[in-house]
Amino acid sequence: MSYITSIGTYLPCWGTSGRRVPGDDEDAITLAVEAGRAALDSGGSVECVVLVSRDLPLMESSNAAVLLAGLGLDPELEVTERLGGAPATLDALGSARPRTLVIGVDIDAAGAAAALTGERGLQVRTAARIARSLPVRTRTANGLVHDYGDPRLLKERGFLASLAAAWVDTPVAVAGVEEKQAAALCAGPPLPLPTTGASSGLFALAAMVESGSTGPLVGVEQASLSGITVADGAAQINRREPRARAKPECAYIPSADIPISLAAYERAFEAKVRWEAGKYSDSDELDFPPRYRVDRDGTLRTDYSFVPLPRTGTVYTEVTVHVPVPGLRTPYSLVIVELDDVGVRALAKVTGTEPGTVDIGDRGRMVLRRVAVRSGVPDYGYAFEPEPTSDRALEAAA
Amino acid sequence: MRNVAIVGAGMTPFAEHFTLGIKDLLPMAFAECAGSIDKGLDKSDLQAAWFGSMGTTDGFPSGILADTLDISDIPVTRVENSCATGHDAIRNALFGIASGAFDVALVMGADKLRETASKDMLWEWEAMTRDMAWDYPLGLVAPAGFALHVRRYLHESPATREHMAMVAVKNHHHAINNPKARQRFEITVEEVLNAPTVVTPFGLYDCAPQSDGAAALVLVSEDVVDRFTDRPVWVRGVGSGLDSVMAQHKRDMTSFPSTVRAAKQAFAMARLSPSDIDVAEVHDFFTGIELISYEDLGFADRLEGFKLLEAGVTSVGGSLPVNPSGGLIAKGHPPGATGVAQCVELFEQLRGSSVNQVDGARIGLAHTVGGPTAVSAVTILEGPGGTNR
Repeated sequence: MSYITSIGTYLPCWGTSGRRVPGDDEDAITLAVEAGRAALDSGGSVECVVLVSRDLPLMESSNAAVLLAGLGLDPELEVTERLGGAPATLDALGSARPRTLVIGVDIDAAGAAAALTGERGLQVRTAARIARSLPVRTRTANGLVHDYGDPRLLKERGFLASLAAAWVDTPVAVAGVEEKQAAALCAGPPLPLPTTGASSGLFALAAMVESGSTGPLVGVEQASLSGITVADGAAQINRREPRARAKPECAYIPSADIPISLAAYERAFEAKVRWEAGKYSDSDELDFPPRYRVDRDGTLRTDYSFVPLPRTGTVYTEVTVHVPVPGLRTPYSLVIVELDDVGVRALAKVTGTEPGTVDIGDRGRMVLRRVAVRSGVPDYGYAFEPEPTSDRALEAAA
Repeated sequence: MRNVAIVGAGMTPFAEHFTLGIKDLLPMAFAECAGSIDKGLDKSDLQAAWFGSMGTTDGFPSGILADTLDISDIPVTRVENSCATGHDAIRNALFGIASGAFDVALVMGADKLRETASKDMLWEWEAMTRDMAWDYPLGLVAPAGFALHVRRYLHESPATREHMAMVAVKNHHHAINNPKARQRFEITVEEVLNAPTVVTPFGLYDCAPQSDGAAALVLVSEDVVDRFTDRPVWVRGVGSGLDSVMAQHKRDMTSFPSTVRAAKQAFAMARLSPSDIDVAEVHDFFTGIELISYEDLGFADRLEGFKLLEAGVTSVGGSLPVNPSGGLIAKGHPPGATGVAQCVELFEQLRGSSVNQVDGARIGLAHTVGGPTAVSAVTILEGPGGTNR
């Protein structure tokens, strides 16, 4: 049995209201960070993180380090990267110790949701679990997808057979299947869910909390399912779900690999992914990026400490690159952002809006994104996401 | 310190020299320079050489200069200082001569940009100017780095894109007569404004074309100047200034502090002021940069550079012609050669032999601002018969 204190959700702004797509600067880790930060907006401490997805960007190492840094969590925390869909996330939730952040992430359709457990809050417990094999859709390690192509077989011998075998009561909500199928399985009208994978059960849970419903919530992936019983209790819901709009057209010229220095990557990582400046104890000035200093008399200073930077700011200057840049999608906008109240500026790409729609003086927040992929390495850093303005909304509509 | 004069100057055309390598361009520029020395030059007169090149086309630059001119018995120093490279080669040669270490020195600048596929060139040159972890991955390509300044400048100044276009129109008009210029055609303000956007607020004609070229000067001490010419052009002042490399560290992006610093040094050394300048070659890598530089060099009040364009002051025929050669915009910009080539133009202006001669030009100023807008150089020259120092 677990108690959930808060749920955070995140949907990319691109795609349609029924099917979001990630921005070119987003992957499962940046989506997870957005949802995780939304869950942590309500406060609460974290002792371990479970990340459930079938779309992890790296199969070896590094995902966890970026995730913890992006969430502003201690690098000593345990992170479990769990391969799975809707059932795996509900399993993780049902058995989570207090102060566990369970995050489910999907890329197609895109979305992420995170639930933080605590000593009290919304009570959930595992009610059913069954693993059966009916691999109607397969994906190999190198991404090759094969679809068997028989939705009726999947329905009859997949989740209907599994529901029967699991002895679960008629669910209040079903995650992991299309809305039409969920409608046939649920007691009441189905909850519209933006995803069908690892994050879908948490989106369903958030919707149940908001509608005040309790009862069985079932997560399905092909012929396997897990169910939890959602009981009474309060959980804070924080949604970062901007209105969906069409992803802008862009041009792309392939290039040879853009080089990366992993030595430089590693040196910059803490400041760049945790969004921290360097500060010397006897000075109010912040160095971003952090750096060694030499005093007037030539004394070398290396003992700076890291201090968090504000994540909001104002555009000081802006340009939009239209000329084709091999290896990058154009156009794209770059801004220098004056961070609030610290005398520090940052150079960043603009995200979450059409290129060329940000102006000097616009306000926004700094968000973790995959700012580049260089020589196969996802390179994470912060991008500027402008606050929605009426102008931008109009441009997006036009 | 001894006074130092330029006695010879020459350059190749700036162009896409697909058929000529760096080893061809260097002897071509040198020969034209040697040919311009009134009383002739023997290569054995040269005691030292400074070679400005940003790139390393075909390998080790100093050795390439020595090999191509067969001058291996004198020291050759390669200078690299971004777009200030050419002027910095001049500055170092000046001090070598002024100190008494040498009497005759060769200064050359050359770069070969059109040597790699245009799709690869961008990232190769980016790696020279950007922090590999912080800036490089963001795609802050060269025009974007400058555009960050100009966008802010247009926000704070009454200047508009039309004023930027006037810079392109003026410099293209100047280039018509210059056989060394790459883009010798007239354009109109409308054509500049309607050209495809490169990086806002720059259209295609707001940008200098990537070009190849070489330029050469021979500098000598006042003690031996009579052996070479009776019409020397004196180097009155040199300056070199720096600024933060990363764009986010520049506090006021409507100005280039490196230019202000370089100009202050050069004017102080020359004991001159901006009002003494009769003709100038100013770094117009992008149109808006010329506009900002009017102010940084002291030719215009802050945020009022556009007034010079509106009044025609900086056109040939105006009271302070800027870029009579066509500037980088119309002439081309091989970075190592650019500053040296500016002084080739001033050498001719101050001796009364330029194709776009500025009447009575006596004092000339040349300026570049470079790379990540973090280094500038200013060189001030005075024509023959001047008061000298």
